[in-house]
Amino acid sequence: MKIDDVQQLSAWLAATDIDLLELRGPGEHLCLRRDGARVEIVPGDALEDGPEQTAVATAASLGVFLHGHPLRGETLASPGTPARAGQVLGLLQIGALLLPVTAPAQGIVQAMLVAQGVTVGYGTPLVELRLL
Amino acid sequence: MKREHATISLLGTSALLFEAPGDNMELAVQQRIWMLARQAEAWPEVREAVPGMNNLMLSFETAPHALDEIQARLLAAWEAAEPLPLQGRVVELPVVYGGQAGPHMADVVAHTGLSVDEIVERHSAPLYPVFALGSHPGYCYLGGMDPRIATPRRKVPVLSIPGGAVSIGGAQTGVSASAGPSGWNTIGSTAMRFFDPGQDPPALVQPGDSIRFRVEKVIR
Amino acid sequence: MIEILSASALATVQDLGRPGALRWGVGTSGAMDPLAVAGGNLLLGNDEGAAAVEVPVFPFQVRFTADCAFAVTGADCSARLDDLPLLPWWTHEAKAGQVLQLGVPRQDGAWRASRAYLCLAGGIDVPQVLGSRSTQLRGAFGGLAGRALRQGDMLRAVAPGAGRRMTDFGLVPPALALPLEADGLPAMRVLPAAEYDRYTEASKAAFWSEPWKITAQSDRYGYRLAGTALEPVAAIEMRSHGIVPGVIQVPPGGQPIVQMCDAQPSGGYPKIGTVIEADRWRLGQAPIGSRIRFVQTSWDEAIAALEQTQRWLDEARRLVDLYRGQGARS
Repeated sequence: MKIDDVQQLSAWLAATDIDLLELRGPGEHLCLRRDGARVEIVPGDALEDGPEQTAVATAASLGVFLHGHPLRGETLASPGTPARAGQVLGLLQIGALLLPVTAPAQGIVQAMLVAQGVTVGYGTPLVELRLL
Repeated sequence: MKREHATISLLGTSALLFEAPGDNMELAVQQRIWMLARQAEAWPEVREAVPGMNNLMLSFETAPHALDEIQARLLAAWEAAEPLPLQGRVVELPVVYGGQAGPHMADVVAHTGLSVDEIVERHSAPLYPVFALGSHPGYCYLGGMDPRIATPRRKVPVLSIPGGAVSIGGAQTGVSASAGPSGWNTIGSTAMRFFDPGQDPPALVQPGDSIRFRVEKVIR
Repeated sequence: MIEILSASALATVQDLGRPGALRWGVGTSGAMDPLAVAGGNLLLGNDEGAAAVEVPVFPFQVRFTADCAFAVTGADCSARLDDLPLLPWWTHEAKAGQVLQLGVPRQDGAWRASRAYLCLAGGIDVPQVLGSRSTQLRGAFGGLAGRALRQGDMLRAVAPGAGRRMTDFGLVPPALALPLEADGLPAMRVLPAAEYDRYTEASKAAFWSEPWKITAQSDRYGYRLAGTALEPVAAIEMRSHGIVPGVIQVPPGGQPIVQMCDAQPSGGYPKIGTVIEADRWRLGQAPIGSRIRFVQTSWDEAIAALEQTQRWLDEARRLVDLYRGQGARS
């Protein structure tokens, strides 16, 4: 990647609220991290050294875990999709009531831990996220 | 097809419809309907007793489980109902007949075989008792129209006729209190305020009152 | 407080209707989908019969001019608050300045519907007339000045910021909880009416077995249906009599008209049947151009259907109140 491109990307990143931009290509691994208004280039390898931070959204109650709203066909989240803190990743159905299952922190969805339509108990882990 | 007996039918689970025998619209029968309404509106199942033309709709507060019982009660009350001779005031309405005010006058002419003048004369002669309110806020259903000018309701209802429209539907006549759709034949127009939601009662003409149509103008 | 941004929206303020004024020729009006209004209200902890905005034409936009909790129920109209997509049948908190947009109802989901309802915390604050906040279009009273909403209109909520209301949860819509279909089409149960037996056997059979299309000449006054012409054995001329929403009239042309919320409270056309009260919301949501079926039912079944609907509402309210109560303690 050319230095001009990196500067261009850094400037763009600084203007967004995205904290981390990770680029992978053949033989290349580049990470741009925004720290407030500053953008720094982090050697890709350096990031892989630390342990992966994960977080799990759990069931707030006994209920049925749904991957999408019953009126709609699409799922709310799937592995690989990014999620803001508080973003709805699934629903917990308790009779007529639908509660949101939300991302506890910003991250990337790693896995839906429970299948669509399964009854879960209070505290059951539902969605795993890799934190940024 | 003449109705031999009083009948009761369902309007979904929301109301019952009671129809007096016969197929005319007689004042003496209507006075018994008014009496029946007064009785029935006191029943706990009934929200409103709404007279029509020699018939009565009972809207339910809560639909009763025992349908047979309330039907029997209604028939018994009808048998016992004496005429209630309501007496109100006479309201006189000036009417412009025909022309743009009466777009369907030609249909009444065609159906009855009478001339415009004959139709106007027969329509404006009687003193019409107000039998009931319905159709739209303040609208009065009138009894006593001359059967010679009866004209069937239109095959396809008209999307909008204006307030003040004087119309004939089958053997009945009435005046619209506001613009809206209608299946009746409009023969004239008058100006009158029939409804004010701020007043109590909000309808300014009621069953027991009478209406007289005064010929202001005839456009042939 | 909300400001209406859309023009020509045909939206009106409606609650559950104005009963008790039939004697003066005043029909009941009210929401075409009363379950959507009741559902939205209970999500907000409102009285079940609090007034809401009925939205039949889309897109529809309002701007919140004060912080306010709200709910959007009825048709799934891909609602967005600024650029945040909202879930259907959901309650949310709006901040002053945010714009709520309701898009054309989705037709690819589990339920095809045509009207959306915007409920506000405490309900829409307009004066009651003859005991109701519903708009009486024919008489030009009730709702907001007795007319449809226009661009620039401002509507207040009864209790916009009162006690930080819990939001961000929803209900499974009754269309999914209380399904009713016949041969894959939405169905409505009908009780035969007084003139039912004066129709030919072929007409009666067609009435129950054939699909009926909701034509474009359908609105809050009545739904004009297209299908087999219904023929009486002999011409029927009637005396004017009281009717209610749901009554299916048959004018001489033979194409039935189902009387809806703004229908006249009396009429003189023959009636073949009445859509039961418990199923009027299904018809009120059926889109123009869609087809429906009528299913013959009995008095007992119709009463049971009313009770089933009430149980759904009671259970939904119980769960929502439990959840909101938990939130208040934590």
